[in-house]
Amino acid sequence: MKRNSLILGIIAFIALVAFPLVIPNPYYIHLAETILIYAILLFGLDIVVGYTGEVSLGHAGLFGIGSYTAGALFFKLGVPFALAVPASIAVTAAFGALLALPALRVTGPYLAMVTLAFGTIIQILINEMTFLTEGPLGIKVPKPSFFGHKLNEVEYFYVAAALMMVALIVVNRLLKSHFGRAFQALRASPVACDCMGVSVYRYKVFAFVFSAGLAGLAGSLYTYSEEYISPNTYNFELTILFLLAVIMGGRKTRSGPILGAAIVVMLPSLLSDIELFRKIAYTAVAIGVVASIWLLAKKRKSLREIAIPLTATIAMAVFSYKLENIIDWRLTIFGLMTLFVVYYLQDGVIGFLRNLLEKIWPNGFRKVDEYGALANESLAWEKSEHSGKAGVDLLHANQVLMQFGGLKALNQVDLKIAKGTIHGLIGPNGSGKSTMMNVLTGIYKPTAGAVEFNGGVISGMTPAAIALGGIARTFQNVQLFGEMTATENVLVGLHHTFKSNVLDVMLNTKRYRAEEHRARIRAASILQFVGLTDLSNEEARNLPYGKQRLLEIGRALGLSPSLLLLDEPAAGLTAPDIKELVAIIRKIREHGITLILIEHHMDVVMSISDTVTVLDFGQKIAEGKPAEVQANAKVIEAYLGGDAGSNAGAAELSAPPSSTPIPA
Amino acid sequence: MDIFLQLTFSGIALGMIYAVIAFGYQLTFATSGTLNFGQGEALMLGALVGLSLAGGVMGGPYINYWLMIPLVMLFGALQGVVVERIGVRPSIKTKNEFGWIMSTIALAIIFKNVAENIWGKDDLTFPSPVSSTPFQIFGANVQIMQVIVVLGALAMMLAVELFNRKSIYGKAVVATANDSDAAGLMGINTGQVVTFSYALSSATAAFAGVLVAPLTLTGATMGTALGLKAFAVAIIGGLTSGVGAIVGGLILGIAETLTGYYISTGYKEVPGLLLLLLVLAIKPSGLFGKTTIKKV
Amino acid sequence: MLSINNLYAGYGKVEVLHGISLDVPKGKVVTLIGSNGAGKTTTMRAICGMIKPQSGAVSLNGKNVAGMDSHRIARAGLAHSPEGRRVFSTMSVRDNLTLGAFPRFTGARPKGNIKADLERALELFPRLKERQDQLAGTLSGGEQQMLAMARALMMNPDVILLDEPSMGLAPILVEEVFRIIQRLKADGITMLLVEQFAAAALNVADYGYVMENGRISVHGAPEKLKNDPAVNEAYLGGANKH
Repeated sequence: MKRNSLILGIIAFIALVAFPLVIPNPYYIHLAETILIYAILLFGLDIVVGYTGEVSLGHAGLFGIGSYTAGALFFKLGVPFALAVPASIAVTAAFGALLALPALRVTGPYLAMVTLAFGTIIQILINEMTFLTEGPLGIKVPKPSFFGHKLNEVEYFYVAAALMMVALIVVNRLLKSHFGRAFQALRASPVACDCMGVSVYRYKVFAFVFSAGLAGLAGSLYTYSEEYISPNTYNFELTILFLLAVIMGGRKTRSGPILGAAIVVMLPSLLSDIELFRKIAYTAVAIGVVASIWLLAKKRKSLREIAIPLTATIAMAVFSYKLENIIDWRLTIFGLMTLFVVYYLQDGVIGFLRNLLEKIWPNGFRKVDEYGALANESLAWEKSEHSGKAGVDLLHANQVLMQFGGLKALNQVDLKIAKGTIHGLIGPNGSGKSTMMNVLTGIYKPTAGAVEFNGGVISGMTPAAIALGGIARTFQNVQLFGEMTATENVLVGLHHTFKSNVLDVMLNTKRYRAEEHRARIRAASILQFVGLTDLSNEEARNLPYGKQRLLEIGRALGLSPSLLLLDEPAAGLTAPDIKELVAIIRKIREHGITLILIEHHMDVVMSISDTVTVLDFGQKIAEGKPAEVQANAKVIEAYLGGDAGSNAGAAELSAPPSSTPIPA
Repeated sequence: MDIFLQLTFSGIALGMIYAVIAFGYQLTFATSGTLNFGQGEALMLGALVGLSLAGGVMGGPYINYWLMIPLVMLFGALQGVVVERIGVRPSIKTKNEFGWIMSTIALAIIFKNVAENIWGKDDLTFPSPVSSTPFQIFGANVQIMQVIVVLGALAMMLAVELFNRKSIYGKAVVATANDSDAAGLMGINTGQVVTFSYALSSATAAFAGVLVAPLTLTGATMGTALGLKAFAVAIIGGLTSGVGAIVGGLILGIAETLTGYYISTGYKEVPGLLLLLLVLAIKPSGLFGKTTIKKV
Repeated sequence: MLSINNLYAGYGKVEVLHGISLDVPKGKVVTLIGSNGAGKTTTMRAICGMIKPQSGAVSLNGKNVAGMDSHRIARAGLAHSPEGRRVFSTMSVRDNLTLGAFPRFTGARPKGNIKADLERALELFPRLKERQDQLAGTLSGGEQQMLAMARALMMNPDVILLDEPSMGLAPILVEEVFRIIQRLKADGITMLLVEQFAAAALNVADYGYVMENGRISVHGAPEKLKNDPAVNEAYLGGANKH
């Protein structure tokens, strides 16, 4: 895989060097230059859209800020290229932060609209702040000069190409590092991400700011490339064009943005020539008809599924035949393309090709984990940094009240967890066990009461801070990062072991490489401990259910917690799986980790817990050693339900059929 | 002072338009968790269709302003159904948020471009259905059309609210907004409810379009900024609160006319959008919105 | 009345039900018990159309409704009081009940006297009558459960699915819920009851099915099941072995 990308890189490098020599036409060189510049921006946009899964409609605005920073710096102060470009990056990143800090408190459509509003403000400001931007008149900027030599189109092309390559390498490194893993994790399961100590908000903001920096770089290069900038360029359509390019090319790839950039840059030229457009439309119909027949013949798709896209393509061809002036309808065609891509080409061209290749050659993309051999169970453990005094209560939930509307999910519950024990938490469905978990890990802020952990109050802290403080958890509904491999899931749990910053990652420093190496060995060791070595490179969503539960435990262990919360780890597991699980839980305790265990399998809870607390109706009804709790009349009643078990209790099961009628 | 008062009155009229559009966002958001990024374009189409019916641009006028309104709303409803069927439904089925955001934007671009091709790129004047001679309140000039805008907007929202509270179908809409799955269990066709909410939402926007058109210029580009600012209003007021939409609309409308006069017309869009960022930073659920609790 | 044959269903790629068959005869109460994660709620969801079965038949009144949307299944005569109650929290108790009769308003089901039925439902649940104008979201858990049951009744359905009616309720309320189920049974209402309190469920039921890992492990008359070790296992996870 590594060698493949190296070869690809060399080919790309040669292609870039050779391009102006083979095609010396300045028009095409300029077009290629624009593609390279867009690609830089799209790498950044892909971080936001593809990796963190947020929709930004503000990237044209950011692009404009980059352009105008460079333009105004040159126009007003005569600042040279070498200073203007970094300044553009910094200014755009700063604007990105200004937008991201408030805006990323919301997601989805909210964020889309807010970024759209931001883009609109920027366009207005560029238009209105004439003292800086010259307003609608625009700014003229010549090609940069180095040591008195003014670059020509070809030389500038090489500058843009070099910077694109740098951006590509930097982005690639970032996305392969713990930062990239954090981005993917926060998208897959924000709640689990926070509970792994990776603050979703922080990393979203970081991704956005980084992306803005790239937009700034692209913007400044664009200024020098065009030699003239005016406010109208940075409009809403450009933003949509960028998004279209990212999706059409293929998200979460580097080749996708380059391809997408090429498509959207050439699109206007294609659309300006009606003859060419007609030919494309006719070809599309031909391909569509052949593909449809083939799909129908092979019974891959039904007539109904094919009808819409086929009709649309034919309608498009008819439309192109009727059309006289294509320029006027440019945006309609553009809109239709967007619809087409959203519905039929979600993974983009690159994704489509990759899926095709994977079908032909199923194992071609499977990587081998070279760290499996270095795994050693003893390396899975790291002395917890948060070890409190032995024998003392590690955690104390004090009179916790959690109210949702009229429901008191937890009603003045006291819970003390002694260090080094396994503490069972049981109760009927809806009795408040999971709510308790969520209170302890900071997902819910209790309505009243406090939670102390290791002597400090943690209620009110963010889930990420609580996780870093030493409380790890698993989830009742498995919350793995589905599209990431088992190893990567555990690596997200190990995120806190990285001290490297962005610069370390971008420059691939020794410190970063050492940390990554150590983390990978530990991840492999943890996977060995939970018995998933063979599945380390499998995507989490493809693991069997029981293995997913074990992987969740492994990921939580990555945090080196002093307290581990397991929420129904045995649910849905088969008998042999449960045996394995019990052994794993025991081993975890042996390594000095305190556990809270929510479980419905009574034999599991009763056999391994030191203390058991029983919740019912949001209240603690019993607590003590397993045997005591099992004998407790209140517990039996709660489990059997009011009337039926009111007098007979558990005994009724083994007793002869009850003929006691239910009082009506 | 008179000028200030006068600006406030225009601000109120403008704000009520924002409130009606924001109300339209709320309708679809409540039932489906989605919204039409082309809400502004629905307004624009409403205004242009209205102008073609009641004005001279298409060889008319065919009917008078007041009779035109129900026709335009019907048109708006149909347009809303198209948006829901093409842009939203497929993405709701696959739970693809990115999908409906992009496709409603794509449809908005198409609508705008089609409108440009039909009605041209230049702004047109919408003949005022009432006398444009202003009357005086506390020494400030107020146009009759402005009063109509305020009353019309309030009437529209009130009508929808009454429908939701009193009729069984309205209750079905509220139930779908509450819990779509549970509504399905009651035999309510929640897909139809979503389609209906889109129809209603676009009809509302089209109605707002013909209300605002006589006060401003009418053209293919009139909707985008209105739609965006109405969204700001929806967020400022909270996406779940009708009162919030009105308060948010008034705040924004007045802020905007004041900025336009005292600072510069070029900047008049800025306060709303800044206010939007500010509200997000302080209270993301909006001034009147409820904070929701996520289930794990 | 309701009969399920070889039903397979799940979420996404994960198959949870591996071929479930069960029968709910007219006028009878049938219970489905089993441990957490056995697939009881999934079965309920697959029956009522909240999730689409991968294969198998769900026949209601002799008509196969498998794969239909939930609103169509509801109109065909199936009411569901779902797990977690799912009342319409921003609407009044009265409006919640009115909505239960939605198919009757639209003519999808025989209209009858909706008003009278509403009053009858309120008589059956006196706690709801006291709070009929309150918003459902402000009710306690037990009251919400009663509302969910009353709402299901309002449809005049052929079959009612009751999913974990005792969940999250104080023992005294659980008692009341079962008393109501007993009363509905006496009225001849056909019910499929999913319960974690197996003993209570078996006491009220005419027939029982026990689920384990997405399959029916045993089924039979309540008396038979109560003596079955597999039931014991499914019940408290075997905690009562000793």
